Amino acid sequence: MKADQTHPESSEFERRTRVLLNDSAARLPAAVRSRLTQARYAALAACGARRPSLARRWVPAGALAAAALALLLVGVPGGKKSLETPAANAGLEDIELLTDSDAVPLNGDQDVDYDFYEWAAGEATGPTSPSVGS
Amino acid sequence: MAAFATLISQTADLIPSGKAHLRDTTQDGARTLDAFLISVERKAFKIAQLALRHEADALDVVQDAMLQLSSRYASRPADEWRPLFYRILENRIRDVQRRRAVRNRVMAFLPWRADEEDQESDPIAQAVDRSPAPPAQLESDEMLGALERALTALPNRQRQAFLLRNFEGLDVAATAVAMKCSEGSVKTHYFRAIQALRSKLGEFWT
Repeated sequence: MKADQTHPESSEFERRTRVLLNDSAARLPAAVRSRLTQARYAALAACGARRPSLARRWVPAGALAAAALALLLVGVPGGKKSLETPAANAGLEDIELLTDSDAVPLNGDQDVDYDFYEWAAGEATGPTSPSVGS
Repeated sequence: MAAFATLISQTADLIPSGKAHLRDTTQDGARTLDAFLISVERKAFKIAQLALRHEADALDVVQDAMLQLSSRYASRPADEWRPLFYRILENRIRDVQRRRAVRNRVMAFLPWRADEEDQESDPIAQAVDRSPAPPAQLESDEMLGALERALTALPNRQRQAFLLRNFEGLDVAATAVAMKCSEGSVKTHYFRAIQALRSKLGEFWT
């Protein structure tokens, strides 16, 4: 898309109008030429003031988002605890109970030594009852 | 040119010394852009003046177009600048024409202000050469005045097509980009503009 400077297909009418207009553009008043020069300098100054790159423009937004996330995780009271919900812990406790061989059996009472637990409770609350073991 | 050299050096100073190639590229780009703006500024002003019939408004739209080109499209290839620049210019001209239309509708309710608007001078219609000129120059000025009056009387699209094609020298494809229309439309507008100008200026060109 380059400018067609030669106008090989132009008619005489087109050529004459072009010459007249070019002549009038070349004879612009000094005040207008001065304003155009000032406009050109302003445009070049705007071009010289380089805009920051796309990555640099996103840095403040990224920093703000990171700070907000850090505040959410650390700064909010109980924020960390709130992540450990009872429902989440229930699964872990169940697994510990099932795998602990010393725990109270949960699959019925046929293997429970009730005498032992009764004695242990008596030991914890006071002296050994004479009836025990008699 | 001294101010331009200072501007280029100030722009180049923003670049770290370790990146000399970028400094050279920036200076070359600024020089290329400056040369381009020099090549279009006078014709752009004439086009804007013919469309707006107001010198200050024409200067404003040319400056806006230059600023927008340099701030938004300076990184584009230089051979794309010309149609882009004239596209921006035409958009700015249309903005001013729309603002005027709205203002005139509002001013229609204020008769004292409407009278003031009517008294606004038309620099093209009232252009007078005060210096004594040779007969050839007088004839040329008379022909130019007639041509400019005929151009201002054309519909916007026909005037755009004629000035971009015949005055600025854009080819059909570049004119279509600048006018945001098809190449066929450009040819149609241009043909009609030539016909209208021929019919109006016949007495001056025979």
